[in-house]
Amino acid sequence: MPAINRPTPASLQEYLWKYEKNSRSQNPLQPPPDNILQILRYGAIVGSVIQCHSSMDRTMDQARQYITEIEKSGKSVASGTVILADTLVRPKGRFARTWHAPVGGLWGCLILADTFLTKARTLLPLTLGVSCCEAVRDLGIDASVRWVNDVLTDGRKLAGFLVESFHSPRYGEDFHLLGFGININNNCFPAALTNMAVSLSQILGSPVNLHDFTLSFLAKMTWNIGLLCYEEEQELRTSYCSEEQQNHLLLEQWKNLSDTLGRRVLYGYDIQQKPLYEATVTGIRADGAIVMRLKDGNEIIEHGGELQYL
Amino acid sequence: MAEEIDFDAILKKYHSDPYDYVEICATQTGRVSFKITEGSNVNSPSGEWLHIPGSPLFEITRERNPKIVTAKTNGTIASVRTELEGQFVEAGEKLLTIRHPLKKKEVIENILKEVLDLFPAPERAKYFFSLDIQSRIEKKGARAITIKPGDEIIIMSLMKRDTPIYYTGEAGVIHSIYFTPGLSVDQGQPLIGICASDKLPLIQKVITRVKADWDKLIETANLEE
Repeated sequence: MPAINRPTPASLQEYLWKYEKNSRSQNPLQPPPDNILQILRYGAIVGSVIQCHSSMDRTMDQARQYITEIEKSGKSVASGTVILADTLVRPKGRFARTWHAPVGGLWGCLILADTFLTKARTLLPLTLGVSCCEAVRDLGIDASVRWVNDVLTDGRKLAGFLVESFHSPRYGEDFHLLGFGININNNCFPAALTNMAVSLSQILGSPVNLHDFTLSFLAKMTWNIGLLCYEEEQELRTSYCSEEQQNHLLLEQWKNLSDTLGRRVLYGYDIQQKPLYEATVTGIRADGAIVMRLKDGNEIIEHGGELQYL
Repeated sequence: MAEEIDFDAILKKYHSDPYDYVEICATQTGRVSFKITEGSNVNSPSGEWLHIPGSPLFEITRERNPKIVTAKTNGTIASVRTELEGQFVEAGEKLLTIRHPLKKKEVIENILKEVLDLFPAPERAKYFFSLDIQSRIEKKGARAITIKPGDEIIIMSLMKRDTPIYYTGEAGVIHSIYFTPGLSVDQGQPLIGICASDKLPLIQKVITRVKADWDKLIETANLEE
C-alpha cells in the first residue's frame, strides 16, 4: 500500500528556499543573511533521502536494518536520510514505554552520521524539540519546550523524541538515529494517555496538512542541525572554547521557546518509574545541562533525566 | 588476573598505610589560588544527591573566569605545591595530594579493582544496564550473568541521547557494579568489574580473607600503639 505522507527531497528543498530561508531572513534575532545561507548549507543533508512507508514496526529498527543492509551491499548510508511511516505497529518510547502511533501522526527517524564534536553531539537532542516547537508555533499554537526536548501545549504532550546511537556492523561507522513522533491528526489516544497527550488537530479544531507540516518540521531540522555545525565552526575558528560560553544560537533559541527556566519541577532519571526530587530550575548551561536549586538552597546540575512540572 | 594472590603482602600493605593518596591536578589552564594548606582536613560532597560540594581546594582563573575546584574525597591535605600559588598552570599539572583514610569496604574494593577486569565509563553521563541484562540481573543476580565481547551491556544516557555500550573485555561474570542508575558517572570511572567464572572462588576468597583479617590487624595495630 503506498504511503499517504510522501514528501520528497525536492519538495523539501523547494520549501526550504521558498519559506524557511525567507522567514529566517526576516527575523531580526537571526544571524545576518550570509550566515543564514551558510547554516542552511550545513544542514542541507537533512532529507537528502526520504523513504516513505505506509506501515512498519518501528522506524528506529528500520533505520538500523537499512544501515546494515546498505553496508552489506558495499555502499554507505547517506547522512540525513529520513525514514517515515504512516503508522507504526510496535512503537515504543524510552525505557520501553508504550507509544501510540496510528495513521494521522508524523512518525519517523532521521539518520545522521556522527561527524559532530562532543559539544554539538551533546546538544543534538535539543534540535528535535526546538524544530518541532518552531513548526507548531508557525501554526499559531502556543507550544513550549520542556527540558530536554518535550513539546507541550497546555501541559499536554504533542510530541516525543528518542535519540539513539548506532555502531554500524560492517564499516564501524557511528550514526545518530533521531526518532520523532508528533501528534498531528491522530485524535484518539489510549485511556492512559488521554489527559497527557494532545494532537495539533485537536487544538486547532480542524485537520492539519500532514505533508506541509512534515516539510516544515524537516526544514527546521535542517536549520537547527545547520546551527550546530555553524556554531562548531565558530568555536573552532576562535581556537578557544569556553565552557561558560552562553550565546550558542541553538541554546538561545531553546531558551526562547522553553518555559522550563524558573519552574518548580519533579526530577527523575525515569520520571514515571522513579521520581527523585523536587527543585526549581535556575538555568541551563552551555553544555545543555540543567541547573536546579534544591529546597536546602544548594544547586544541582543534571546532564540527563526528565522533568515534570509541579 | 594473577592466579596466586599474596594475601599477606596485600593486607600488610594496607595495614601499614591504610590510605589512598589522591593526586589533584589542574582541571584547565589558568592562574591558581589555593584554598587549603598542608594538614587541612577536607570533606567530600554530601547531601542525599551528593549535591553539596566538597571542601574548596583551589580557585583557577582563566580569561577572568574563576572556577572553584572542590574535593571529591575526604581526608587530609598531604602536600600542596605552594610554589604555584598565583602562578599560571597548564591543565593536568599536579597541584596537591589528599590523604584519604580507607575503610574496610574500600580496602576490599581496592583489592578487587586490582584483580577484576574493570569496564570504564567512556564519558561523564548517566548509565543503565541494557533491558536484557537488567531483566537477567533482576531474575538471577549480577554474578549469574556472563558477558562476552560484543554484548550490548550498558546504555549511556546524556541529554536524552542513549548510546549502547558494547563490552570489549574478556568474557566473564559481572562481579561488581560501581554505578547507580540515575546518578552521573565521571569519564574513566569503572562501571562494572568482570571476572572469569573460574576465578569467582578466588575473588570470594579475597573478600572473606580481608573481612576476617582486617579487623584483627587493626586491633593489633591499636594494641601496639
